[in-house]
Amino acid sequence: MLKRKRLFSMMLPLLTASIILAACGTNSSTTTTTSTTDSTSNTEEVKKLVAGSESAFAPFNYMDDKGNVVGIDVDILNAMGEEVGFETEVRAVGWEPIFPQVKNGEIDLGASGITITDERKETFDFTEPYYEATQLLVVKEDSPITSAEDVKDKKISVQINSTGHMAAKDLVGETNPNILGYESVPIAIQEVLNGTTDAAIGDNAVVFEYIKNNPEAKLKTIEDDSFEKEYYGFMVKKGNEELLKLLNEGLQKIKENGKLAEITGQELE
Amino acid sequence: MDLLDLRWDIIWNYREMFLRGIWITIVLTVSGYAGGIILGVLIGLGETSKKKWLYWPSKIYVDLFRGTPMLVQILIIHLAVIPTIFGQSYGFMVSGILALLLNSAAYNAEIIRAGIQSIDKGQMEAARSLGLTHSKAMRKVILPQAFRRMIPPLGNEFIALLKDSSLVTVIAASDILYAAKIVAGAYNRFWEPYLVAAVLYLILTYLVTKLVAYVERRFSNGYNPRRKREGRSLT
Repeated sequence: MLKRKRLFSMMLPLLTASIILAACGTNSSTTTTTSTTDSTSNTEEVKKLVAGSESAFAPFNYMDDKGNVVGIDVDILNAMGEEVGFETEVRAVGWEPIFPQVKNGEIDLGASGITITDERKETFDFTEPYYEATQLLVVKEDSPITSAEDVKDKKISVQINSTGHMAAKDLVGETNPNILGYESVPIAIQEVLNGTTDAAIGDNAVVFEYIKNNPEAKLKTIEDDSFEKEYYGFMVKKGNEELLKLLNEGLQKIKENGKLAEITGQELE
Repeated sequence: MDLLDLRWDIIWNYREMFLRGIWITIVLTVSGYAGGIILGVLIGLGETSKKKWLYWPSKIYVDLFRGTPMLVQILIIHLAVIPTIFGQSYGFMVSGILALLLNSAAYNAEIIRAGIQSIDKGQMEAARSLGLTHSKAMRKVILPQAFRRMIPPLGNEFIALLKDSSLVTVIAASDILYAAKIVAGAYNRFWEPYLVAAVLYLILTYLVTKLVAYVERRFSNGYNPRRKREGRSLT
């Protein structure tokens, strides 16, 4: 009896700790869902959405000097919210975590210049596109490379697991060691300048942003028809029809009133 | 339950990358560690030196490399230091090995310094009084004893370096973690690739543990080469 009592008293702190931790766990996981669901009881019907972004993908999403996530993605979400009535908090979560976090429901949507692909559609739902992107080859000014055909036996730097990476895989093969995947497109371009790789493949908007910020860099860009046109969309959890409808509605409205074109500087369709 | 329907075929499709990853991890770690030991011995001896021009550079080196994160060191070396000095970079292998080498040298130096200083002062005094020079006393008396004490921490450092070598994925070195990241990105599945990466690292560190245990036994006081089976005599 005494033995058992001692055992219990030994276990007690452990037990309490686990209960507290469990409570914490449920707390944090429900905050995001309540923030979206209790809006129905709200008289103003202002939904609060939590969006995740990489926040290192200028000009679509990046951090300003105060640590806020800003950029085209955020501007579009805000414009949409004004039309159909929701607020968005855009969090910086990093590129790869966006996908599991949307899947788990930790965040409501991914807003990070995410290309709509058939592969991603298997696990997620996408809104209508809000931006048309294409991949660009970036090479040194004096490089002999003139088309995608020329990089087949060269070293290519890309952002890891981005659409540029997929394009590179299509060009030279899935497990080719000549593809070097970095954390961001600017580093991939920097590697071309450093001579680690011969060419970088990246989204047009990001490449132009890099060149705008580094006008003295001796680089040139090459368009190639073999790179397919891509469309960026907001990504939600598969089967979240309600949110998808709301976002599409907002997107439609800012397409019609011209705000979208104003933000992206691009006329879509 | 997600755990039950793991798709191991996605790993199999990328086996080539995982095999290359194992090779790259081993090459990076072993070269970095070997270089780190050599540089570490020099700096560790520098730290025990009474000459100021040897002591201070060694001390500052250790503080610098032990006080900054290895991830930052890798990025600085690959993206800033090497391109600035040589005008171009020489790929992730050179930068990766250099970063691991410089970092582990700092830790090894501390281990070596502590090992030397842990040997009783009387040993050096006795050796000197028998007519040995300082350097000869160091080589014949102090270091052999100190080395035995350094083996466990040096082994720890090897294992730590092996694991830290995964940081080189940020410069696109195609090691084990890089292969896992590629698979995770290609299929949007996270259990399989990262579990495989963890197991591969575990196997590698286990092998190192065994190696360190062997070296420790081999250099222990009681090691008797004639009794091969047990490796140590009971006296």
